[in-house]
Amino acid sequence: MLSLTGRKPVDTREPFLEIHELSKSYAGVQALTDVSLNIRPGEIHALMGENGAGKSTLIKCLSGSVRADSGAVEVNSALLPAGDIAAAEAAGIVALHQESTAFPHLGAIDNIFIGRELRRAPGLLDRPRMRREAHLLMERLGESIDLDRPLEDLSLAQRQMVGIARALSRRSRLLILDEPTASLSARETQTLFRILRQLQAEGVAILYISHRLEEVYALADRVTVLRDGRLIGTHPIGDVDRGTLVRMMVGRELLEQEQSESIGATGDVMLEVRGLSRPGEFADITFSVCAGEIVGLAGLIGAGRTEVAATIFGIECARQGSILVRGVPLIPGSVRASIAGGIALVPEDRQHEGLVLPLSVRDNLLLSVMNSLTHIGFRSRWKERASVEKSMRELGVKAANPGIAVNTLSGGNQQKVSLGKWLATEPRILLLDEPTRGVDVGAKAEVYRLIRSLARSGMATLLISSDLPEILALSDRILVMREGRLSGELSRAEATEEKILAFALPAGLDASLETATETNIAAGSKAV
Amino acid sequence: MTAPNRKPVNETDIKIPPNRSSRVPLPTRNEIVLLLLLIGTLLLAGRLSPDFLSSRSQLELSTHVWELALLAIPMTLIVLTAGIDLSVGSTMALCAVVFGISIHAGLPPIAAALLSLLVGAGAGALNGIFVAKLKVHPLIVTLATLAAYRGIAEGISLGRPFSGFSDSFTFLGQGSILGLPVPGIVFLIVLAVAAIMIGGTPLGLSLSAIGFNEKAARYSGLAVTRIKLLLYTSSGLAAGMAALLFVARRNTAKADIGTGMELDVITAVVLGGTSIFGGRGRLFGTVLGVLLIHEVREFVSWQWNRDELNLIVVGALLILSVLADSLLSPKKR
Amino acid sequence: MTNRTVETADTPIPSGNRSLSTLLHRLARQREYAVLALLIVTLSVVGAVNPAFLSGGNLRDMLVQDAPIVIAACGLTFVVLLGEIDISIGSLMGLLATALGQLCSPSHAALPVWIAVTLTLLLGTGIGLLNGLMVTLGRMPSIIVTLGMLTVLSGINLLLMNGKWITDLPPGLRWFGVGTMLGIPICLWAALFVVLGAVLLARETPLGRRIYAAGSNPDAARLAGLSVWKLKLFAFTLTGFLTAVATVISVPRLSVIESGVGQGFELLVVTCVVVGGTSISGGRGSIIGSALAALLLGLVRPMLIFLRLGVSASYWERAIQGAFILLAVLADHLARRTRRDARR
Repeated sequence: MLSLTGRKPVDTREPFLEIHELSKSYAGVQALTDVSLNIRPGEIHALMGENGAGKSTLIKCLSGSVRADSGAVEVNSALLPAGDIAAAEAAGIVALHQESTAFPHLGAIDNIFIGRELRRAPGLLDRPRMRREAHLLMERLGESIDLDRPLEDLSLAQRQMVGIARALSRRSRLLILDEPTASLSARETQTLFRILRQLQAEGVAILYISHRLEEVYALADRVTVLRDGRLIGTHPIGDVDRGTLVRMMVGRELLEQEQSESIGATGDVMLEVRGLSRPGEFADITFSVCAGEIVGLAGLIGAGRTEVAATIFGIECARQGSILVRGVPLIPGSVRASIAGGIALVPEDRQHEGLVLPLSVRDNLLLSVMNSLTHIGFRSRWKERASVEKSMRELGVKAANPGIAVNTLSGGNQQKVSLGKWLATEPRILLLDEPTRGVDVGAKAEVYRLIRSLARSGMATLLISSDLPEILALSDRILVMREGRLSGELSRAEATEEKILAFALPAGLDASLETATETNIAAGSKAV
Repeated sequence: MTAPNRKPVNETDIKIPPNRSSRVPLPTRNEIVLLLLLIGTLLLAGRLSPDFLSSRSQLELSTHVWELALLAIPMTLIVLTAGIDLSVGSTMALCAVVFGISIHAGLPPIAAALLSLLVGAGAGALNGIFVAKLKVHPLIVTLATLAAYRGIAEGISLGRPFSGFSDSFTFLGQGSILGLPVPGIVFLIVLAVAAIMIGGTPLGLSLSAIGFNEKAARYSGLAVTRIKLLLYTSSGLAAGMAALLFVARRNTAKADIGTGMELDVITAVVLGGTSIFGGRGRLFGTVLGVLLIHEVREFVSWQWNRDELNLIVVGALLILSVLADSLLSPKKR
Repeated sequence: MTNRTVETADTPIPSGNRSLSTLLHRLARQREYAVLALLIVTLSVVGAVNPAFLSGGNLRDMLVQDAPIVIAACGLTFVVLLGEIDISIGSLMGLLATALGQLCSPSHAALPVWIAVTLTLLLGTGIGLLNGLMVTLGRMPSIIVTLGMLTVLSGINLLLMNGKWITDLPPGLRWFGVGTMLGIPICLWAALFVVLGAVLLARETPLGRRIYAAGSNPDAARLAGLSVWKLKLFAFTLTGFLTAVATVISVPRLSVIESGVGQGFELLVVTCVVVGGTSISGGRGSIIGSALAALLLGLVRPMLIFLRLGVSASYWERAIQGAFILLAVLADHLARRTRRDARR
């Protein structure tokens, strides 16, 4: 096997990177307090914790993009200058932040070499050599792409691979990955794991941040848990079970996902979708959701689920098919019509689609409902105040007062505001797209409770989620989409993770071979 | 909604403080600075030349600020949504030329005026369609229409000026009612309407939301396309009104009027504290910005009679005010 | 259109997909080809109607008129690539013209021509630097900075002029505008060198690639250790310098330097940059595109003249310019749609 870094495997147990009592606060909020840990060469070290626990801050201190207030980082006993990205890179610390480190308009070669360009002469690029090296790097990663194509034209997984190639092209001793599998398919995740293990064998240490317990158990040697900016503990992965790990993160007993009795449909068909098609995205989608029912929509990334929800909500317009709310056809492509019909969509990207971050909590909560709170066209402050109070109370939004900017809240609270905004409009059909993404374990449980109680009071819910345990726990029925089409339906009783995956993966292919990704939607579209 | 009443993890219940909604919002830091600058300028002016501050002088000098002030109102709203309209000056010219041609073709003034306003609204609507429906960057669209509209004005008028309008029409620009100049009254009415709509209806918050994050605004159900279309159309309409006021005041309509007007309007709006990136801004600030530019310009002309100094002072004022604002706020841009 | 192919270790390094669909795909996306096509079409059509249009003399005249715009557009392209804008270059040109005239005119400073030219170039570079400093260190939005500077510079210009136009330019100055080397006018040599230099900078130097990167994703650029502010400072300074070059090679062709010099220049140059395919949001664009667009837009007035549509037709020149931007905008819209559909 070709060596990825050109180095021989190293096997020592002496840590090469030591973090001593790192502390950092932002505008009065203590993000890290006296965090100390060490990393050994060639270990995969998982970093876990709820959102707001300090993981991102720790990475930023390590990679040099942020300067800690106190404490030190030592690499091979040499003190690392704080807040110095170049120094961190020189020391071999490379952080991969997915989308945020890519240049979408440039090709793979530029993306790999920017900042570290190979030169033929001072001020002149050595293009042939860069092209050769880029090609070799991508080949070793098992990817073959058009090196000149702008990154924005490549698939998510390919972009990620380019990012990894970039990280590899630097001599890294420590590779920091932050939720790297969030947008990857199963096959791509396996490829990533293979590469990581190989890097490990060559002595590269990996700091792996993830919320996914299965991945951590599959990959990591040791795990460190942060909570509220403090180090709770660092243990070999074999020494902690899932329950202990979760307890460390949350600090209290977390009730197991209640396998409560599902209510199931209690009423009429609220939402019916017939033969819905949008070329290139999805085709022939037909299903219905009844009042009181939670219908889960599972599938791989890129299967088209978000697009279906966006179409039902009116952000996009279907080319064919119809949407009926309580038997009445809905005007397609009109968000206002959908809202009037009682539909609400809580989008998956709450920072860019769900919330307006610079606005206050109050303004965000009012955004969708203010038009109905008016009195002869004018805003009614009294009605608005009542609505905001109600939303904050019922959702348990932790904020000093409704006037603070929503971007100061934690991920879980932000998601509650995003939900609350829509619940204030008293919808009858709720479309949830990844409602607990980036939400810490505690808030997750609250959200689940809320979803269930809403269903009990008659809400028809479509739950899109890539978190299989979540879908299994909440749904009354599970629909699976594959490459833009519905591939299967499972009742609550019969559903298992394996069965869902079986429907989600392309027919007849092994999980280890090529699987459905965004690029194959094009193949699917030809059949439309 | 029957979410269970769960105690938040951090013990105490959330206390929602009573909403301190004052009907008149407090001035922002930027506006306070503007007010100080304004007062400072007037004091200085009064010192050097007391006659400048007499109400008669002020009224006389105010004649040509109303068009700028009028255009600044929709521009504020557009900039609030992170947009811009560089075509207002050219739209003014187009409307003026249309008016002139109509009058000379024999149309009664009312009909010509209505036609002119219609053209203005239409020009604005075209901007709006490109920006709102085709989702093109407003800088580019209005840069194009800045050239196109003035070009059409030049084309249909062949560079000829029109003049000799009836007295009943010129009253619009030169007359006064109860001591207030008519253009001023027009401006105040438009300002009042705009202020009520922004402050009293959901439109105000909608504009801010669109300016900060248009995508989220759309996802929240706000009629973004419709709102933007409305804004650009009213900007065009305001340009038409400004054109009529100008023609009435100067008794001439030509294709070169309003040249550079858009820059003055944007200067006033930005000076007034509206962020060019959208989301933040107030009509009150814009009014102060217009006032300050006006007083500074008029005083410089009055005292030293050199137009060049005007330009330097206003340009420097703009740069210094934004510089000060940017250096004082520690946050990254 | 799948991107996955199973390749063995000894397949040749892929150097770009050659299939027809990708070519058409690229055409939809690459504005340079479209502008070039439009350029050729216009030349052919007008040339067919009036062959004098394509005479050597006329072609040279058109190119000479376009030269300053091409030169300034090269600088402005880098500014727009970084997501900024500079609308002060028109006023800057006016001021530099006045400065140049007053520095070497016998009735003013009466300096030797070469010194006057050098000082003018320095002045332009300095003002560009000032703009850049305000945008980077001052953290001000470039539209506002350059809007303010536009006003200030034109005020200073009028102040310097003091109402008197400069009419006694020394003959040595005229060489810059009218002189030739190997039969080709100086201004065309200058434009050629500037374009070649700019293309080289954009494609073959780390600085150029970093500018593209910083425009494409400023946050990622910072994380990659790039100094975005230095890049912006460079772009604005370069624009100031190139505006000065454009002034030096065009103003001497005039017999009089008056206050209208440079008016509307910034609009023209920004139009070229946008029509040439550079995106106002940064990261995408090309020097060649801007240069070709400058040639295309430079055709409008001669076209109206040579088509013999009458005196009134020339009044429509500005309207046509505006129409060009709108066309470019529509083309962008369509290109975005095809790109999105093709990705599926």
